Amino acid sequence: MLHNVKDDYVSTIRNHTSQFKKNSFRKLAGNDFKNWPGPLEETWRLSRLGTLSRKKLNPITPNKNKKPNNDLKNIGSVIIKFVDGAYRADLSSKLPSGLSLSILNENQSLEYFSKIKKTNLNNHPSTNVSLSCTPSIVKLMVEKNIHLEEMIEIIYEGGDESLSVHPVLNLELMENSQLSLIERFNHVGSLIMPLQLLEIDNNSSLNSIKIFDDNHKSYNLSANCVFLGENSNFKSFSLIKGGIFTRTETHAYLKGKNAKLNLNGVYISGDKQHHDLTTAIYHDVSDCTSKQIVRGVLGGKSTGVFQGKVRVAPNAQKTDGQQMSKAILLSDTATANAKPELEIYADDVICAHGATVGELDDDQLFYLNSRGISMDQARKILIKAFLQDIINETVDEALHSFIFNEAQLALSSIITKNDMI
Amino acid sequence: MSLLEIKNAHLKLDDKNILNGVSLSINSGEVHAIMGPNGSGKSTLSYMLAGREGYELEKGEVLLDEQSISEMSADERARSGLFLAFQYPVELPGVGGMSFLREAVNSRRKFLGEKEFDHLAFVKEARKEASKMFVKDEMLKRAVNVGFSGGEKKRFEILQMAMLKPKVSILDETDSGLDVDALKIVSEGVNAQRNKENAIVVITHYQRLLDYIVPDFVHILSDGVIIKSGGPELALEVEKNGYAGMINAA
Repeated sequence: MLHNVKDDYVSTIRNHTSQFKKNSFRKLAGNDFKNWPGPLEETWRLSRLGTLSRKKLNPITPNKNKKPNNDLKNIGSVIIKFVDGAYRADLSSKLPSGLSLSILNENQSLEYFSKIKKTNLNNHPSTNVSLSCTPSIVKLMVEKNIHLEEMIEIIYEGGDESLSVHPVLNLELMENSQLSLIERFNHVGSLIMPLQLLEIDNNSSLNSIKIFDDNHKSYNLSANCVFLGENSNFKSFSLIKGGIFTRTETHAYLKGKNAKLNLNGVYISGDKQHHDLTTAIYHDVSDCTSKQIVRGVLGGKSTGVFQGKVRVAPNAQKTDGQQMSKAILLSDTATANAKPELEIYADDVICAHGATVGELDDDQLFYLNSRGISMDQARKILIKAFLQDIINETVDEALHSFIFNEAQLALSSIITKNDMI
Repeated sequence: MSLLEIKNAHLKLDDKNILNGVSLSINSGEVHAIMGPNGSGKSTLSYMLAGREGYELEKGEVLLDEQSISEMSADERARSGLFLAFQYPVELPGVGGMSFLREAVNSRRKFLGEKEFDHLAFVKEARKEASKMFVKDEMLKRAVNVGFSGGEKKRFEILQMAMLKPKVSILDETDSGLDVDALKIVSEGVNAQRNKENAIVVITHYQRLLDYIVPDFVHILSDGVIIKSGGPELALEVEKNGYAGMINAA
């Protein structure tokens, strides 16, 4: 609890919810936002919200006519746009058959609210604030047995200096369906609080890429809840490169046997950026597999955080839960923190975790230099190699060069700074 | 024409005097062997020439093609035509052999004002040179030196030399860890590159390599100075009498 800080935003949200009916999901959610998480809260200890909590903010009223000019080259064949946190049909593609988009009504929203409230995201600020302030909860559903060929691209953009943005999504893959999704966060200024509930039903499979590239003044507190059914598959790759503070927190509940989960991420941080990848994977049933690979490249005075928790329930035998995080520091003012956590209550499991933080290898750099390759180019080559295996493993081959290019753009600005080691 | 000139080189490492006035003059078309016991300063000399950080000269200078290289970084020296074949080639996990070679070759070509190779043309050229060194195609697809045997690593070093066509090559204990067959392949690769325009410095403490790569001049390095120079027969003398005898006589 931040007792000493004037909680302007908390009272702002309190005022905002006063307009809603007593038992509406917005009022219930808004009332649950009592304070920003403080430094004594374990999962926020490494990512303090002090500066954010002192900002004077108001939830944005989405501008239905705003057309942000992002110059983003589209990757997917079906585009869905959220501007200022609101879905914009006028800027989005026609959806292919098998994929539907709807706005949840009050009852459906209450159901969404109660689903998330039963998870460990129940007190996340984005859960409570975004459910209170979102223009609407958007549901994307892939129908049973549909294997969508088209790659769906969701772009979240807009925003404003002193306003907060609240896109809320419910994505459901019904039984036996397949979806490839790429989501891009490209907002300008202040605070973005994306909230997502992903329901991957039995035998279905989701390949997801998230690129966090909000502008250098943005705070992005992305909260994601995932439920995986029997024989389901979720491959997720997050690339964090934008924002002054970006935290993506995912709680994944493996509820059906033989579910497989890859929750991978790369953060590329420079200047004074703070990038945080926080995950919690709950092996609630037996025979599930989870794997997390995280790679960080940090320059300038940036900070990277990886907190990975894996909890294996007493009956979750034959669990395979692996976690590996590696960070490379390019300057001596950058910091990487890794906090792996294993909570294992079953006795027939394979769980492993590892974390390393280091610099680029001097011998390797010299070997490259001795072949006429400049220091900057040598660093780029070694960092590309560092990121290669995680990208090859989680990202579809067709998207490799796109993702490498996105990473390269972020790397170029941190590699050539003078405060290199 | 003088290609490499080392003038009174003095170097300290961790406060210890390693090079204590090495002087050497190498002209184009020549192959020089530098022999010496362990601790004589051979590797230090090669790292100093290549421009490794921490191996700067206290006193003295080095001229490459009559141009001082003391202010040049390692990559600048390499682009200017200096090549070091490492005694312990470095592994580069995740860095593909073919793209590594192409980066190196194109850096040199760019510097020389020559047109850089495009992908396909390069692969063709690389495969041609690779087969001469018995480096299989499959090896070029793997990460540089990762999982390579000692012989494979040394052959890959000489392949790099063949593709970079340097003015001055320094082969640092290229024979270490090689069996006779590998030694022959590596030596043939080196000999194939000897010409009137370039120069090669072979650093070794065994005479055997010099049966295959026959030098024009042999120098004995001991305690950071060259104590004796001569023709190829000097190497045979070392083989016969050992370094100790030579050092005592100097």
